[in-house]
Amino acid sequence: MDISYIEKHIEQLKNDIYRNVEHKTLVKYTGNPLVDENQLFYLLLPFFDGEAWDDDIYQGVITVGIVQASLAKHNLVDEYDATTKQQQLTVLSGDYYSGRYYEILAKSGNISLIRQLSESVIIRSEHEVRVYEPTNYAIDDWFDSLSVIESECINRFYQIYNFNQYSKIMQNNLLILRLQNELLNYRKGNSSRFLQKMKESVGPDDSLNFEKYLQHRIEVLVDQLRELLRTSSMKAELKQYIAERLIRES
Amino acid sequence: MEKMKLKMLYSDFKPDIDIIEAELEKALNSTSHVLNDASLHLLRAGGKRIRPLFVLMSAKFGQYNIERMKYAAVPLELIHMGSLVHDDVIDHSDMRRGRPTVRSQWNNRVAMLTGNFIFGRAIQYVSHIEDPKAHQILARTMVEICNGEIIQIEDKYRTNQNLKDYFRRIKRKTAILIESSCEVGAVVANVDPLNTQRLKRFGYYVGMSYQIVDDVLDFISTDKQLGKPAGSDLLQGNITLPILLMKDHPKITRFIERASKGEVTEAERLEMLQIVRKSDSIKKALEISDRYLKKAMKEVENLPDNPAKKKLKEIALFIGKRKF
Repeated sequence: MDISYIEKHIEQLKNDIYRNVEHKTLVKYTGNPLVDENQLFYLLLPFFDGEAWDDDIYQGVITVGIVQASLAKHNLVDEYDATTKQQQLTVLSGDYYSGRYYEILAKSGNISLIRQLSESVIIRSEHEVRVYEPTNYAIDDWFDSLSVIESECINRFYQIYNFNQYSKIMQNNLLILRLQNELLNYRKGNSSRFLQKMKESVGPDDSLNFEKYLQHRIEVLVDQLRELLRTSSMKAELKQYIAERLIRES
Repeated sequence: MEKMKLKMLYSDFKPDIDIIEAELEKALNSTSHVLNDASLHLLRAGGKRIRPLFVLMSAKFGQYNIERMKYAAVPLELIHMGSLVHDDVIDHSDMRRGRPTVRSQWNNRVAMLTGNFIFGRAIQYVSHIEDPKAHQILARTMVEICNGEIIQIEDKYRTNQNLKDYFRRIKRKTAILIESSCEVGAVVANVDPLNTQRLKRFGYYVGMSYQIVDDVLDFISTDKQLGKPAGSDLLQGNITLPILLMKDHPKITRFIERASKGEVTEAERLEMLQIVRKSDSIKKALEISDRYLKKAMKEVENLPDNPAKKKLKEIALFIGKRKF
């Protein structure tokens, strides 16, 4: 198994997600579904690692990808002005994808995954809305929220198909990637609400210290991930792929 | 007066509707204060709960057990509620049922998350039912509601649309959810396939009538009765049946043009309302609604004898003649 083999399957999955939610008007005004290739890698990780795999599981993978695409579209809705046709259809594209994942699983009678994914949407929404709450959460609560947002859907999928051994690596890696993106945007002056809240939670307004603090936390997570990889029984080439491709310098 | 009438109609189902109401409140319980406030805010603003009622009434033709039926009735109301929260984002609405909308009280993002949370709860709730058929009906409904909304956006301010476009739109926008309420109720209660189809068609016809009346009420009710400005549909570019029946009226055509540019003044809105109210399009629209109601009644006639038959007819008639 080389990189091109992994990338070919990620590409295939991406196309299968697109195909299952294809809608002429939505594509015209809002573009293709938003899929995160790192998340797709982790959805396929058990397959790459040689776990028992069949069409039913692959269909599950597609629907998890659709749920993530639905929530990603909704994240593009502007806080105060969604009056343009493109914005209105962005609201509906997320809703449409959400209906489609349910429709696909209902057709195959996969009620367990329906339940798990609906619960992941509930939990993700509860964590995403935290940035609008007056509560003062601690920095670790914000880390937890970001981790839930990035990995809850995949975790539910792992639970259903008994792939829990990949959970820690996946959670850790996706959190690192999210934090690195947040840090990158912060450095460019585009802080997300999450980052602003995290910054508030660590203390007085000292940008340089906060940046250092965040970088330090990322480094700790990277060290933990390297240790998880070292002790994992996963195929060596997959460990190498994660170490080389998914752990970036902050 | 109208609310009293509705209460009387619900009286036979009062204990079960109370169970559904309590379950709805439970379903919307969240660890997040914002989601709690936002969704309970909508729940407590009221609503007729006609979808759960249709679920329960249809189930009366089969093996009725409220402890099982609640897993079908609650999601139908939640799907309706979730789509209202997202609709308010799309329509940039400030008021719903006389109260500020989630988007106006918080913001669009909170409204999106609230809607997603409510949809999530709806699906989580219905997952207590193992029969895939019930899920297939609900899933198709969610997709079709979206398709209806997408068509509505495409049709906005489009003056060259016809009656077929309108019926296609309201079928997906409203009728399908009432149709599904009846069908899911029947499926979960194991009603035989023939009567399930009858109940499904009944729901469709009632749903079509319901939306036509809703579109008429948007013109003939007061701002206070509606909890938002009368004529809002047209202001937002939604060309409904009363307008389609008089769309060649020059002042209306001009109004639509101005509405598309956001240039309508309050005086113009009031003038438009007068023109529509004085025209015969309201009467014609209500006649079309009556035709759907008659078809609904015919379906009820063919159902086996059951006390719920009388209730179905009464509720359908109320919906067709309601004033709010």
